[in-house]
Amino acid sequence: MTLIRPTRRGFIQAAGFGAASVALGAPGLGRAQSYPDRPINVTIPTGEGGGADRDSRVFASVWTKYLGADLEYGYYPGAAGQVGYEFYMQRDKDAYNLIFANLGPEVIMLELQDTGIVIGEDIVYIQQISSEPMAVFSSGRSPITSLQQLVDEGKKRPVTVAVSRLPHPGSIGMLALAEATGANFVLVPYGGGNPSAMAAITMETDCCVLPMANPIALIDQVNILGVFAGANPAPAESKGAPTVNGALGTSIPNFDSSRAWGIHKEAYDAFPDRVAHLKQIMNEAVNDPAYAEAVKGAGLPTTFIDVGGEDVAMATAAATKELAAKYKTLLSGA
Amino acid sequence: MELNASGLWELFLYSMSMWWIMVPAIMIGIVMGAIPGFAAHNTIIMLLPLTLAFDVDVALTFMVALYCASHLGGGIPAILMNIPGTGGAAATTLDGYQMAKQGRAAKALALSFVASVGGGLISSILTLFLLPYLAEAGFYIRSIEMIVIMLFGLALIAAIAAKDMLKGLIAGALGLMLGAMGADHIYATPRGTFGMLELFDGVPLVPALVGLFAISEALVMIESRGGAAETAMRVTPTWRETFANIRSACRHWWLTLWTGVLGLVIGVTPGAGASIAAFVAYQQAQLFSRTPEKFGSGCEEGVVAPESANNGVTTGTLVPLLAIGIPGGSTAAVMMIVLQYHGVPFGPRLFATEPLMAYGVIMSMVVAYILMIFTVFPMARYLSSVTIVPSCYMGPIIIAFSLVGAYVPRGFMFDLGVAVAFGLIGYIARKTGYHVAAILIGVILGPLLEKSFLLVMRLSGDDMGAMFSSTLGNILWGALALTLLGPPLAARLMRGRAAV
Repeated sequence: MTLIRPTRRGFIQAAGFGAASVALGAPGLGRAQSYPDRPINVTIPTGEGGGADRDSRVFASVWTKYLGADLEYGYYPGAAGQVGYEFYMQRDKDAYNLIFANLGPEVIMLELQDTGIVIGEDIVYIQQISSEPMAVFSSGRSPITSLQQLVDEGKKRPVTVAVSRLPHPGSIGMLALAEATGANFVLVPYGGGNPSAMAAITMETDCCVLPMANPIALIDQVNILGVFAGANPAPAESKGAPTVNGALGTSIPNFDSSRAWGIHKEAYDAFPDRVAHLKQIMNEAVNDPAYAEAVKGAGLPTTFIDVGGEDVAMATAAATKELAAKYKTLLSGA
Repeated sequence: MELNASGLWELFLYSMSMWWIMVPAIMIGIVMGAIPGFAAHNTIIMLLPLTLAFDVDVALTFMVALYCASHLGGGIPAILMNIPGTGGAAATTLDGYQMAKQGRAAKALALSFVASVGGGLISSILTLFLLPYLAEAGFYIRSIEMIVIMLFGLALIAAIAAKDMLKGLIAGALGLMLGAMGADHIYATPRGTFGMLELFDGVPLVPALVGLFAISEALVMIESRGGAAETAMRVTPTWRETFANIRSACRHWWLTLWTGVLGLVIGVTPGAGASIAAFVAYQQAQLFSRTPEKFGSGCEEGVVAPESANNGVTTGTLVPLLAIGIPGGSTAAVMMIVLQYHGVPFGPRLFATEPLMAYGVIMSMVVAYILMIFTVFPMARYLSSVTIVPSCYMGPIIIAFSLVGAYVPRGFMFDLGVAVAFGLIGYIARKTGYHVAAILIGVILGPLLEKSFLLVMRLSGDDMGAMFSSTLGNILWGALALTLLGPPLAARLMRGRAAV
């Protein structure tokens, strides 16, 4: 038990610090730069309190030191992320508006839904900061404790799988698994990571598939049955969960979700100096040991930190787009 | 830490020592809760830099007190100006504003405050002792059970329709149709959005709320030069009268108790929220009332039930976060970010590693509600003075507040248009005898009901029989049938006996 008894003096100091942070912005290491000279707006295409919110704030806790400006968050959930992307496209294209993307589900959404937004032509992902594989898990109370059992069950009856949404790498992963094994999986979209995990824990569904950080956070109450990756990046935190291909001898591709920062292509072309500055300080922040500490502090494995510049982020997006195109018919309910 | 008497006392004293952070949090919570459109979660997000700078236990205490107080604050504009700033306060307007119009605003506020504090206090104390069992409730209340619970709320439409069957059902159906707008829950296919992106996530709730209730009322008020001010007391009540009102409100202790527990149980289920709890509590209070016909015309129970229930929900939404590690609502989700930021585990590990903090969250709620007794009850005297503002000023003030409230949650100019459009729908409804509450219930509960229904269909392979596949669900179905069929059958039986 490590409770620290607070003091009024401590409170006043904290309040003063907080108020000053709110009013003046975080102390600026980059004040010499003319850009940015005001807060930068961050569009998050999911709700507050979700994984994207958590990850962007963990990154921002380090990045704002380099940026020298505050970040102002806007949350635009809805229609599998389409609402957030469409609103982002309406914002000023001046490099003061960024989008914090969850590349997996959002690239799939852009591929499946008629948004008119084209990656590379309308949005450029300039920095990838993390990547985590999809993991399929069941409730700790469930009789299904292994992937083989899940597949066997899926051959006898339709097995229900809670998913955040249909256009999601986890959904594609389960469809690929069904295709490879002949099991029958019914995807049930719950509209977010938290309700999906709850559906599995309460056993309303047989299992759930989400980015691996979710079941790791709930490890006391779930069995991680398999990870859609070549190797489990967090064996200790996941109680040594096997990879899907390792457990079943299949050759299913990796399914993961990467967090990346995106910017309007128009701003990318019109303000190359600003974009270059953003890229540079993002790269510095993500390689700062303080970032790894912040990730660890948030209870996430540091092995999920997957740094990559524009080339890596755009390649990830392209690979995801290809997968989405392959499974388009199944995911769109046709 | 064992939960014995001395442990509890120690925890209580520790929480009490946090009064210096709780009192400002309560004041902020009440003010922000009273401003339409603001809710605990967006207030906490705005103050996140402050809470992240606190020690984690101070931050949690601050957020918990603010959360509780904001639910209480939501009832103030609902009663005084017919502006329900959140879905949870919508049911309070039905009788609260009627009381204000009758010159009983101070009484209505006292009822609201006593019910809120009472409901919150009861649910917090119960949670303190029954947390593991309440967490288990989340394992039994699933989509099927949620459907039946929401049907209890929708049954209010039937009660409203009883006064004018055709108009009541038309209004309810209109509300359900409006609530069905937006992307569907399975394939995210847009429906009835007319290509407007702002409607992809459905009809925005707060603009619809303030439009239907507040703007339409303001238009009627301006047109008739009437409203609360014309009939209200022209003097601020004395302290003696204020305390008499509070004593009188305490007479509804039984209603406060069971509607608070009802709110707690509904709150435990992730996804369910204050609006469902408030409408279900209102419907049940009317059902068990000796004078159900008085509901909607300034009935005291009509204020007590929803206010107690929506404060019961506050505790309930924290149960899944504490016991399982999954937030039960948006405010709990933001609290989880603060916990994560400080590297504090949540769920069962929180009880294993930081038991004082885990139980301390609930005890903070108990203490926050106790402190609210001293901070909010005096407000019942002065806040009621709002009703002496002449309607020629009050109407425009209501419209201005409503438009601000409509804008705040999403920051879209589009939402101002939605508020005005719903204001006009509400105005026409009032002028033609359609009940705006029936429309609103459809707008609020319709999408939630549809989502649960689609989930059940998806889970069962489109088998309608799945609706009756759960034991608890079947018990609830039986209770719903009794709720709907019991009163008319009893009335018929009574008439038959009288005829004999």
